[in-house]
Amino acid sequence: MYILVLLIPLLSAIISGFWGRKTGTGVLTSSCISITAIISGWIFYETALNGSSTYLKLWGWLDSELFTTDFGLQFDSLTSTMLILITTVSALVHIYSTGYMSDDPHIPRFMSYLSLFTFLMIVLVTSDNYIQLFIGWEGVGLCSYLLINFWLTRIKANKAAMKAMLINRVGDIGLLLAMFLIIREFGTLEYSTISSLLDFVDRKNLTVICLLLFLGAVGKSAQLSLHTWLPDAMEGPTPVSALIHAATMVTAGVFLIIKSGPLFEGSFLVLTVVTFIGALTAFFAATTGAAQNDLKKVIAYSTCSQLGYMVMVCGVSNYSISLFHLLNHGFFKALLFLSAGSVIHAVNGEQDMRKMGGLIRSIPFTYTMVLIGSLSLIGFPYLTGFYSKDLILEVTYGKYYIVFAYWLGSFSALLTAFYSVRLIYLTFITNTNTNRVVFRGVDESSLSITFPLLLLSFGSIFVGYLVKETMLFNTIYPVISSYIKITPFVLSLLGMLLGFIVFSRTEGVYNKFEGHRVLYGFFNSAWQFNYILNNFFVNYIWKFGHLITYRIIDRGVLEIIGPRGAAQLLIRSTQRVSNLQSGTVFNYVLIMIVFTSLFIFGNNAGL
Amino acid sequence: MFYEYVAIGVVLFVIGGLGVVFNRSNIIIMLMSIELMLLAISFLFLINSVVADDLIGQIFAIMIVTVAAAESAIGLAVLVAYYRARGTIIVRSLNLLRGKIF
Repeated sequence: MYILVLLIPLLSAIISGFWGRKTGTGVLTSSCISITAIISGWIFYETALNGSSTYLKLWGWLDSELFTTDFGLQFDSLTSTMLILITTVSALVHIYSTGYMSDDPHIPRFMSYLSLFTFLMIVLVTSDNYIQLFIGWEGVGLCSYLLINFWLTRIKANKAAMKAMLINRVGDIGLLLAMFLIIREFGTLEYSTISSLLDFVDRKNLTVICLLLFLGAVGKSAQLSLHTWLPDAMEGPTPVSALIHAATMVTAGVFLIIKSGPLFEGSFLVLTVVTFIGALTAFFAATTGAAQNDLKKVIAYSTCSQLGYMVMVCGVSNYSISLFHLLNHGFFKALLFLSAGSVIHAVNGEQDMRKMGGLIRSIPFTYTMVLIGSLSLIGFPYLTGFYSKDLILEVTYGKYYIVFAYWLGSFSALLTAFYSVRLIYLTFITNTNTNRVVFRGVDESSLSITFPLLLLSFGSIFVGYLVKETMLFNTIYPVISSYIKITPFVLSLLGMLLGFIVFSRTEGVYNKFEGHRVLYGFFNSAWQFNYILNNFFVNYIWKFGHLITYRIIDRGVLEIIGPRGAAQLLIRSTQRVSNLQSGTVFNYVLIMIVFTSLFIFGNNAGL
Repeated sequence: MFYEYVAIGVVLFVIGGLGVVFNRSNIIIMLMSIELMLLAISFLFLINSVVADDLIGQIFAIMIVTVAAAESAIGLAVLVAYYRARGTIIVRSLNLLRGKIF
């Protein structure tokens, strides 16, 4: 039963990858992942609700006397929660893709990649050691490359996929170095041994380990400074974005922090850094999301922002709240992405919100879904997002020394509400800017697209309420005044109101803002992060690689003292030697005489 | 007793060697210098056989004269054949087999 949760997605990926043309993959992969989802529901019941964690040692992975690692599975409440999220969202994405990608000629490949992605993510969350986690970690990176690059004829998709892979690799190096240090400090990579050895480890080394682990999380979870791959990853098909940004890939970083929570607890510095980066990410992404015009990029930046919340709350040592928000966010973000896909599907692939509008009458169902998702994202009372988002801000305020995180988070909540309303308004409510032919053709999608939306909307409404007791049973709520408690909520309401006023009554205000080139350009281009990274890092490294290491060292110095230099030296000296043979007899005789006499004198001198 | 003649032999040998080295024009002079060197050597053999009171030196001298005669005969034959082919016997033009590549 427990191994099946790994095996079925793998089988699904292999069958649809190799024999997909013959079998027809849509139904097969969808049903495989749905069965996995049901199994993971059972696992959740057994491990989380009944409190019986399960450990399975499958086979020896590494055995070098001093350092042993098994290929083992660990199912505890954290893992099973992640499993529920991953498999449910993945199953719905699979079902959705059968409708959304039905025109695509490469659907077996797509389904295979999706299943492989799910499998590797399950490997990541179920591992009981860091090495196995790393397999999943690299595997989801690889699958994100394959999926973003799914339409491989598009140069932008190629570039985005490479960017995703390479920026992730920066974080992966952090994770690898952390693993080396863990081996040096603890002599093992298993979570259970590490957490029991924590008291015997030097604090300084622990800080370094945690910083490196956090670097890994920063890359994977798209925190500030390594976030630039996330919005570019929108080049993939929409179900891919839903899978990457809602349930699987970006949550891996947060999962790593939660899993390494005992380590992070040992280092105050790292916790502060984590909160700092998380809060900044939330704020940064919220400001950027408010100035985007691409429907998917708005949602991508909101993902970035919500991940900032999750990381931020990890920094104040409330890992269960972070996991809770991760779960909730998975549901409503998948809903948002998939409904965005539905909208894009309806308007013939147009992604620019400025060229939509007025869709509310033609696709009311999708509108409802976007509304539910957005309200849940905003943290509207009694929807899923409300239970975790406001709690995060309260807990952050409870730690007085990093109270700025609270204010940054609250302001991001305002901006989140604002851009959610903006998204709804520009897409559905304002007068249409669509081409007339397209607008008349707008229609609800088929059942395979709407059914997952419906299920996810239930998730977005109910999951927070249903799971909050199981997830938050050991949370200590901070004692703070009710003004502070209510502030984030008031701010989000204010943001919504602001959005309504700006877009329904005074449209000129936002247009004026959009006309402001410096300010709007700054936010629209994500605080110029791409420019900064490209100009001050990538370009220099690129030039260094070409000029210094390639031209000067590889093709220069090493060639001269290496093959080419030796060859030229030999050629020249042999030419000189053979020039001695002038062809004239008297020279030969002279040489003969000189050397014979040298030989004789040398012999006499005893040389 | 006859040691002062050794110097004559050596001087003759050196003159023969120098004749080969410094001669750039005429190949016959070269052959003659070689003959001179051989004669100087057989002269030295003779001197030494007298000094050491030993016959082997004289036997060697006779053999060297024989070899020298044969050698000059073959050398002159080569010279004639060469002259037929090239039409000249200047030593400086004897440089077809150079070690230079270019």
